Amino acid sequence: MNIISCSINTLNGLYDISGVEVGQHLYWQIGSFQVHAQVLITSWVVIAILVGSAIIAVRNPQTIPTDGQNFFEYVLEFIRDVSKTQIGEEYGPWVPFIGTLFLFIFVSNWSGALLPWKIIQLPHGELAAPTNDINTTVALALLTSVAYFYAGLSKKGLGYFSKYIQPTPILLPINILEDFTKPLSLSFRLFGNILADELVVVVLVSLVPLVVPIPVMFLGLFTSGIQAIIFATLAAAYIGESMEGHH
Amino acid sequence: MANMIMASSKPLIRLTSSPVPPKPRLQIPQLSLPKFSSSKLLQKSQQIISLSSSTLKSLSLFAATALSYIPPSLAEEIVEEKEKAELFDFNLTLPIMMAQFLILMFALDKIYFTPLGKFMDERDAAIKEKLSSVKDTSGEVKQLEEQAAAVMKAARAEIAAALNKMQKETQAEVEQMLEEGRKKVEAELAEALTNLERQKLETIKSLDAQAQELGREIVKKVLPVEPKTI
Repeated sequence: MNIISCSINTLNGLYDISGVEVGQHLYWQIGSFQVHAQVLITSWVVIAILVGSAIIAVRNPQTIPTDGQNFFEYVLEFIRDVSKTQIGEEYGPWVPFIGTLFLFIFVSNWSGALLPWKIIQLPHGELAAPTNDINTTVALALLTSVAYFYAGLSKKGLGYFSKYIQPTPILLPINILEDFTKPLSLSFRLFGNILADELVVVVLVSLVPLVVPIPVMFLGLFTSGIQAIIFATLAAAYIGESMEGHH
Repeated sequence: MANMIMASSKPLIRLTSSPVPPKPRLQIPQLSLPKFSSSKLLQKSQQIISLSSSTLKSLSLFAATALSYIPPSLAEEIVEEKEKAELFDFNLTLPIMMAQFLILMFALDKIYFTPLGKFMDERDAAIKEKLSSVKDTSGEVKQLEEQAAAVMKAARAEIAAALNKMQKETQAEVEQMLEEGRKKVEAELAEALTNLERQKLETIKSLDAQAQELGREIVKKVLPVEPKTI
């Protein structure tokens, strides 16, 4: 009896220490609508990091690039390469979209893993990567959907819709379904990966707060980068797919 | 903790705190509203309006009493349910994130993608131009080399011609000298031959005279009679 109560007490204590908070949000009221304040705050920090570093690095471009400019040129080359492979020769106008997707998701994910958000205490919820919230990922995925519809319609006009019956009209339902599964899979893949990664790290830290979580943290960094690349590449692939001609 | 979260849960607050139906939330259309949440809200307000105030009162009373007697395990369950539901909690954050993303896209396009991309393209073009100009100078060098080769060839031909000419001249001179020598020798030879001929003639004459003498003496000795006159 004694032993049991003791174990329950320790378990309770552990639970209190670990304090895994899933799906708790700090709400702000805007009019009659609510927003997740922690997501907005961290996204502002991410946006500030992106814009600030870009301004500093690209302020005065040199013919022989210095360190910061070199890095940003490398990033731009990478984004252009991704867009060119997926979209083809007419990738130029899509570089800002793909690049912003990649940079925003990448910096968001890494900020969740690297920045010590937990130091700042909130009354509800906790600060984490903006991609940790389903609203962010769905927003990005919906923008991707809008982007590829816009790409297809501006390239081919109403003839774009002929792709729905393209191999055979039998595939029409599946082709329509694809328009729903694409943003769904995009958003849930990113959301699930980042949330699961942060949860694993939090749980491991609460259980063994020493060496063990470190490999998982590095794995998390790796996963975050991969997820950003996957999201950007898939968005570019969808755009390219809707722009390519069938004849 | 459980109490706190329950207190923050929206429908419970509405039922317990305000028996008067809340105003339908239609006065605030400034912000673009996702469809699902607006329809939900409308449904909710309509439901509440449709209830009469007395039933609402009793309902709220019941809810309050029920809440106060909820055993802790049930409360935990409610909390868990609530947290699970909030994982997929769509609200105004979504359109705000969209707008933020679009603003970030335009900002990054203005300060990063377009200027740096343009700069890089221009630098690429400049480097390519310089490279092609370097190729042009290599062509010039080739041309100059060809010119030099041509000059060398001409000089060599000139030298060869001069050598040839000189050789011919020397040969002619040598031949001339040889001719002169030959003539001289021939002249000397001819003189010597004439001398020899003359000496031969003289010798023959003297020999003739001696032979006549010798004959006469032989005749004298052989013939006793001296011929009177032959």
